[in-house]
Amino acid sequence: MNGNRTWRALAPEAIASRTFDDELVLYNDVTGSTHHLSVLGRSVMLAVLAHPCGVALDALVRRVADDSGIDADDALAQSVERTLAELSELRLVTPTI
Amino acid sequence: MILADLAPSEMRRRLSGPGLRVRLGPVAVQIRSPFASVASAIALHYAEHDLLDPSAFADFRVSVDPPFGARRFVGKQALFKFDGMANFRPLPATQAFPLLEWGLNWCVTSQCHQYLIIHAAVVERGGKALLLPAPPASGKSTLCAALVARGWRLLSDELALIELGRRSVVPMPRPISLKNKSIGAIARFWPDAAIGDVVPDTLKGSVAHVRPPGDSVRRGGEAAVPAWVVLPRYAEGEATELAALSKGEAFMQLVDSAFNYSVHGRAGFETLADLVDACECRAFTYGGALDEAVGAFDDLVKT
Repeated sequence: MNGNRTWRALAPEAIASRTFDDELVLYNDVTGSTHHLSVLGRSVMLAVLAHPCGVALDALVRRVADDSGIDADDALAQSVERTLAELSELRLVTPTI
Repeated sequence: MILADLAPSEMRRRLSGPGLRVRLGPVAVQIRSPFASVASAIALHYAEHDLLDPSAFADFRVSVDPPFGARRFVGKQALFKFDGMANFRPLPATQAFPLLEWGLNWCVTSQCHQYLIIHAAVVERGGKALLLPAPPASGKSTLCAALVARGWRLLSDELALIELGRRSVVPMPRPISLKNKSIGAIARFWPDAAIGDVVPDTLKGSVAHVRPPGDSVRRGGEAAVPAWVVLPRYAEGEATELAALSKGEAFMQLVDSAFNYSVHGRAGFETLADLVDACECRAFTYGGALDEAVGAFDDLVKT
């Protein structure tokens, strides 16, 4: 895991979102795709959207841990990294360095 | 003036000649067809709909005719045309009226992009609309007919017309399409229902239509505010159950059921998100006990 790696939304101005309880639905103007994110995806995506200039993986893990009330351990860090990879495949986020 | 006011001979003359113009919710349609089965089915199912002047503007000009050319020698067939163009293969002439209904659905879903159109039945009670989005064979139309039989107002059994940027469903009350076992089930459940001829051997099996109640047709200009999104699922023999459904899942089901979501882009997303945000969402399973099914929805209204 590269904790210093930073992530940002690929095109934040193109994303419309709506939160329903623990779920997040997104529309991406660029791809025309609609996505349904569950708890972890929602937490990660909202954290990335809150930092237009990018946010480091370590900070993301701490934010998700705070949101979820769980420990920011290696298991969570791996889950967040996997989620970022999935969001990247969906062209919602991108690594900045 | 409604269609029932028109003499049968005049209806047949218009259908065979200049066209019969009727109002179907927000659209005016001109229908032409020489088939006697189409004339009798229109007389039954659209009796309460507003008849329009022969010179009135028509949004859609459709016809169901015998095909020309070599196809006219391939048994008796019926061909649907929209603005004189045939976009579909002909079907056996016995299916002329179902073909008209399917063709009209196509006209609405391919042309009425002023609405976000969802493949869903919509009924209303107390000013609140219930949306039943579902894929084919989910029991959507059967459930819709059962609810209408017990006093819910029919907005549509097939197409929910959502006004963009507004939480409002526009009615288009037309015949309810029933298939296979549901025809007999509704005939038993709703003995007073005006059910047309059963047309066998269509691509969907046996098909019959139920005339929409006069009250629903007369109130065809009254939009309704969606209050519930319920995903129906028919599973023979299973118990009736109205279970919780997350708004995210309901939202995605509506997206999947929309005919023209991609046409509207972000406006479609926002319209659906607003709708789901304001609705209670449920998943409904039933095994054919229609009284129980209707009772579950009556209970939902009371909560």
